[in-house]
Amino acid sequence: MSPTADARTRPELRVDRIACTGHGICATLLEGRVRLDPQGYPVVDEPRVPRDVGDLAVRMCPARALYWSDRP
Amino acid sequence: MTGTVDDLVGLLDTAGLTGRGGAAFSTAVKVRAAHDHGAHLLVNACDGEVGAVKDAHVVAHHLDELVRGAVLVTGGRRQRSVRFAAHRGSDTALALHRAGLDVLDVPDRYVSSEETALISLAGGGLARPMTKRRPFVTGGRDQAGRRVPATVVLNAETVWRVAQVAERGPAWFRSFGTAAEPGPRLVALTGAVDRPGVLDTEAGVPLADLLDAARPAHGWEHAVVGGLGGVLLTADEARGLHWTGADLARFGGSVGPGVVDVLDPARCPLGTVTSFLLYAAGETAGQCGPCMFGVPSVAEAWRRLVETPSRQGVDEVRAAAGLLPGRGACRFPDGVGRFAASALRVLEPHLAAHASGTCPTRRSTHRVPHR
Amino acid sequence: MGASLWYLSRATGVASIVLLTAVVVLGALVSGRRRPHGEQATVVMAVHRWLSLGMVVFLVAHVATAVGETYVNIDLVSVVVPFTSGYETVWVGLGTLAVDVLVAVLVTSWWRHRLPERAWRAVHYAAYLLWPAALVHGLVLGTSDEPLLLGVTVLAGAAGTAAVLWRLLARPHHDRARRDVVLGQEWT
Repeated sequence: MSPTADARTRPELRVDRIACTGHGICATLLEGRVRLDPQGYPVVDEPRVPRDVGDLAVRMCPARALYWSDRP
Repeated sequence: MTGTVDDLVGLLDTAGLTGRGGAAFSTAVKVRAAHDHGAHLLVNACDGEVGAVKDAHVVAHHLDELVRGAVLVTGGRRQRSVRFAAHRGSDTALALHRAGLDVLDVPDRYVSSEETALISLAGGGLARPMTKRRPFVTGGRDQAGRRVPATVVLNAETVWRVAQVAERGPAWFRSFGTAAEPGPRLVALTGAVDRPGVLDTEAGVPLADLLDAARPAHGWEHAVVGGLGGVLLTADEARGLHWTGADLARFGGSVGPGVVDVLDPARCPLGTVTSFLLYAAGETAGQCGPCMFGVPSVAEAWRRLVETPSRQGVDEVRAAAGLLPGRGACRFPDGVGRFAASALRVLEPHLAAHASGTCPTRRSTHRVPHR
Repeated sequence: MGASLWYLSRATGVASIVLLTAVVVLGALVSGRRRPHGEQATVVMAVHRWLSLGMVVFLVAHVATAVGETYVNIDLVSVVVPFTSGYETVWVGLGTLAVDVLVAVLVTSWWRHRLPERAWRAVHYAAYLLWPAALVHGLVLGTSDEPLLLGVTVLAGAAGTAAVLWRLLARPHHDRARRDVVLGQEWT
C-alpha cells in the first residue's frame, strides 16, 4: 500500500465537542499531537495518531469524547 | 413530471445544483442518499443567518413550486415525511401554516436553524446542533443516545430549484451562472440600501451590479457578505468582485446563504462589529467548550480593542478568533472566527485612526468617546 | 484452620473496604469544581482503574475465605444472591449486594464503549450505593473486637463521606456551570 493511499484511508482521532468537558487526559497521553487551550479544551494539531496510543486515549477519556473516524 | 428517483438524480447531477443554504453540497448526491435511506425531508426555510430573507421570498412567491420540489425529493412516498422549518411567529411560518403544510416551528435562536439542530428539534429534542459522527441522512443517535430517524435537510431555495430543474430541464438551469457554479441564485441585499430585497441572479455577476440595484446609501464604506458567518469587505473590494466562490474566497468568504449587508455609513463600523460579536456571544448553544467560552472571549477581546486600540489588543482578538475554527460540533464558531478575522483586516485603518483620537465615520478631531 | 480463615476473611475484608473507598474517592474527584486537569487527571484516572482491579483481588480472597471457613454458615449461593445466608442474613446480604453491584460496575466499565453511555452512567453511579453497603457490612461484621480494624473502617467511612459531600455540595466546574446557564435559555 503506497504511503499516500494509506494516509487517505487511515482513520483519524476526533473529539466529540459536545461530550468533551475538558479533563485534558488526551493532551497528556497524546503529547505533541493534542494540546490544551486556555480553558482546558483540546486542540488537535495532528489527528493521525498511532492506533495503540489513540485507542488508549479513547478508553481513558472520562467523558468518552474521543472517537475514530475516516469521514473527511 | 413523472419518473424515477434515478431520473431526478440524473437531472440534478447534470444541472449541477448545489445547496443554497451555504454549504453548497451536491443536491443530486443528497437526494440519492436520502432515497437510499428512506430519509424524511426537512425543508429549511428559517433564514437563520443575520440579514437573510431569501427563504421567506421562496415561500412567499414560489410556494407551489417549493412543495412540488419537496414531493419530488421524497418520491411522493408518504413514509418519507416532509416538514417545513421556519422560525416561530415569522411571516414565513405563518404562510406555511396557512398553506396547511406540516410546519416545524423553530425557536428564534441563531444556531437553531442549523441542519442537525433542526433534526434534533424534529425528533422532540432541543433545537441545538448534534455531533455528526455520520451524516444524519443515514439516521443516527442524538446526544442522549436516542435513535434519530434518517433525515435530510435541504434549504428552501434548493428544493425550489429542484422543481425548476425537473420542470424546465438542466440545460435551462445551466444557462445561468458559470460552469463551476451553475444555475440561478437568490441574493438578499439588506442594510443601508434604499431598495432592500431579494434578487434572482446568478454566479458571475459583478457584485457592483447587485449593489446598484439595491441603491446603497451615499458614502457607504463597508459591507458584510454572509452575515455573522461571513466576512467584512470594504466598498472598493465589494465593488471589485464578481459573485463567485473564487472571488469571495480571496477575502476568506463564500457565496454562503446569499446575504449582502451594506453597513450604515453614519455608524462607526467598530460598533457594528461589536454588536455582531455580542449577539454571537449570546447565541452559543452552550454544548462545546471552545464555543461557549471562546465566542464570548472574542467578543470581549474585540470590545477591549475598540475601547483601547493597540497592537496587543489586535493580537488578542486574532488569537481568540484563531481558537474557534473546527472546534465545535457545528460551524457556528468557525463563522464567528472568520467574521472577526475579517473585521480585524478590514478595520485596521479605522482602528489606527481611533488610536490617534479620531473616528473616520464621525469625521471629527474630538477625542473618540469610550463606547 | 477455620479460625485463621475467619481472621483472613476479616483482614481481606478491611483491605477491600480501604481500597474501595480509595477508588470511590478518586472517582468522585473526577467531577466537581476543582477536579484534576491534564496530567493530574491522567494519574487519577489510571489509579482509579488499577486500584479497582487490585481491590478485586482482595475481595475475591475475602469472599473465598468467608465461604471456606467453617466458623459461620455462608454458602456460595449467598455470595451471589443477597440476604440468603444462614449467618447474619442482613449484614452479609449487604455485602452480597455490594458485590453484585460491583460486578455490574466492572463489567459495564470493561465494555463501556459497546454500551449506551446512559447505561454505563446509571450503573457506575450505583457505586454510591455499593460503597455504603460494603462499609456497613464491614463495620457490623468485621470490627467488633478489633480496635485497629474498627479504626481503619471508620476512617474509610469518613473519607468516603467527605468525598460524597464534596461531590454533592461543591460548586460545579466551569464547564458544567456554563452548560447549565445556556441550557436554561429558550431552545424549543
